[in-house]
Parts: sequence; structure tokens; C-alpha cells
Amino acid sequence: MTQPIALLDGSLWPYLALLLFAVLPTEIWRWLAVGFARGLKADSPLLEWVRAVATALLAGIVAKLIVSPPGALAYAPLFVRVAALAAAVAVMAVSRRRMMLAVLVGEVVLIGGVWLFGAA
Amino acid sequence: MARALCTGRFDVPEAARSDDPMSVSADWSWQRVALAGMRDALLLPAWIVGFGLIGIGSLARDVGYPVDVAVLSTILVWAGPSQVLFFASIAAGAAWSAIAIAIAFASLRFLPMTMAILPLLRRPGQSIWQQLFLSHYVAVTAWTEGLRRLPGIPVHQRVAYFLGFANTCMAVSSVGTFAGYYLLGALPVPFAAGLLCLTPIFFLVSLTAGLRHRADVTALVLGLALAPVCERFIGGGFDLIVAGLIAGSIAFAIGRKRKAAK
Repeated sequence: MTQPIALLDGSLWPYLALLLFAVLPTEIWRWLAVGFARGLKADSPLLEWVRAVATALLAGIVAKLIVSPPGALAYAPLFVRVAALAAAVAVMAVSRRRMMLAVLVGEVVLIGGVWLFGAA
Repeated sequence: MARALCTGRFDVPEAARSDDPMSVSADWSWQRVALAGMRDALLLPAWIVGFGLIGIGSLARDVGYPVDVAVLSTILVWAGPSQVLFFASIAAGAAWSAIAIAIAFASLRFLPMTMAILPLLRRPGQSIWQQLFLSHYVAVTAWTEGLRRLPGIPVHQRVAYFLGFANTCMAVSSVGTFAGYYLLGALPVPFAAGLLCLTPIFFLVSLTAGLRHRADVTALVLGLALAPVCERFIGGGFDLIVAGLIAGSIAFAIGRKRKAAK
């Protein structure tokens, strides 16, 4: 396990580590964005580009979580993980975007898939 | 598929969609607007984030951190992937600097996301401190749902709606994280896998729900396709941001071209 920095060791270390190494590197981008967004109009082309990049980044995170899955998700074979996503998107396409149904179907495919084909 | 997603069945009028919010009318008090935000969160999104963050509790427990650090991480970091990275990297024995850098790269998405949503929440006389406060709530759920729903809400009521919505998500997620700290180890493998897959499924479903035109679909499809390719060939944590910039810029160019052609 990662060792606390000796000088700061103690029962407060986990809180300090959280603030320094998780909160700060995450929050910094939100703060910077406040600065950058000042004076930007909601319909400016720059914002359209920014939005497209944000959408692509989120999609990228989805792909990464599916290709290199964390923890117990690794027990699901790749085709099961992909099938779960495909099923959810297919439900969105045919059901007039009913999100609840889409998430449920995706989960059923995944859990059922692990049950049938799981590596565990 | 891309075509089907942005034309045909997908062009359903706002009011016809089953899970869209009831419209907020301009004469409502801010309390009533905040309650509407809360209600819309409890209809689905808050539960998804809440269940998605159950895993964080168990990860925190694995590295021997107290339960309040797990719950605080949900409230203060408010970004599932950052929290997973934090606790999983501690478990793997990574150096602190490496953990911070990995989290910073994974969180870069908040820069464009926050920039895109703040103009919707802006109103005259809003101080920089209020904007910093609002920006903290930007995470995938509040972002995708906010971009979709805020434009239909009168400008002066958006902040109340957004805070009602986002705080509800955060409260449910805090309970989820707390519960996960004590519960998750007891879960059968398929269900544990199901909980961990909730995040990517919900991210994708929310993004799909927010698609408005071909540029959005292009950004989504290219982002999905390029990220694994970049992960393979670009190291040092830069892969995601490279994939996002390329895919987003191509999508933007396509959107511009179509607009110019009209």
C-alpha cells in the first residue's frame, strides 16, 4: 500500500491525502473552467467545439471502462460488456429514449452474461 | 446506427418523451423549482449515481481508510473515475505524485464540460464565488441532464433547479458510498460486476439521450472508437485527451459544414 508521507503521518493523513491528491487535481479543472467561461455566450462556436470535445471525452471514458474493466467487472468477458452497452443503446433507439428501460436492459444483459459466461 | 440515432425515431418532440421533466413555469417560487429538480433527480439519475458509487465504499475499505473519507470523497471529489483511481492506486501502491497526475488527466474533461454548462446557469449579478460553487456540481449526470433540461427552464430558475437536482444526486450517492463500505464484499460476482458496469452504461445512455444533431453523434461514436486505439498507442495518461480532442474536433468540423450547407 502507498505509504503516508512521514512528516504528515497520523490519523488525519487519509483526509489530507484525499484533499491533496484527489480533490485538488479534480476540482482544479472546474475552477479553471469558471475563468475560461466568463464572457462566453451560450451559442458561441467555441462552446460548440468545447461541447463536442467533452462529449467525445465522456464516450472515451465509457470505452476505456469497457476495454480495461475495473475490479469484478473483469469477470465479464469482453463480448458481454460490449453486448450490454449495445443493448442499452438499442433500447434508447427503439423506445423513444426511455433511459430507465435502457439501463435496466443493459444491466440484465451484463449480469446474465456474467452468470452464463463469467470467468469466475 | 448513427443515422438512426439522430434522425427518425429520435426526433421525438420534447414533451412526448416519457422521462422528461414537467415544465417549470416562470411564476414558481425557487423552493418549488428546487423541488422539481429534486423530483427529476429521484426519477432515475440520482439512483444510478448512488448505485454506481457503492463500489467506492468497498474500495476505500480495502485500503483501510475510514468510512468518512469514502463519503467525503463522494461529496468533495464528486467524480466516480477520480475516486476509483484514488483508492485503487493506493491499493496498488502507486506513488502519490503518480496518483495525482493520473487523476488530473482523467478529470480534464471537467474543463470543457464546465465551460459548456456555466453559460446556461449564468444570470446577471452572479458573483465568481457562486460560479465556483456551481461548478463543483458538474459531473456526468448533472452535465448531460443539465444540458438537456436547462434550456427549457426560465433563466432565473435554472440555478435553483440545478442545485435541487445535483444536491439530491449527491445526497443519494453519499448514502450509497456509505452502504457500499459495509455491504459490497458480500455480493455475488455477477451483481458486483453489474454495479461496476452501471457507470459506463449510464454514461452512454445519458449521452445518447442528449444527442441533438449529427455532430453530437459523430463525437460520441468517434470518442468510443478512438479511446481504445489511443490507449494502445499513446502512453503517459495522454491517450484520453488526445482521443477527445481529435474526435471532438472532427465532430465540430462536420457540424459546421452542415450548418454552412443549409
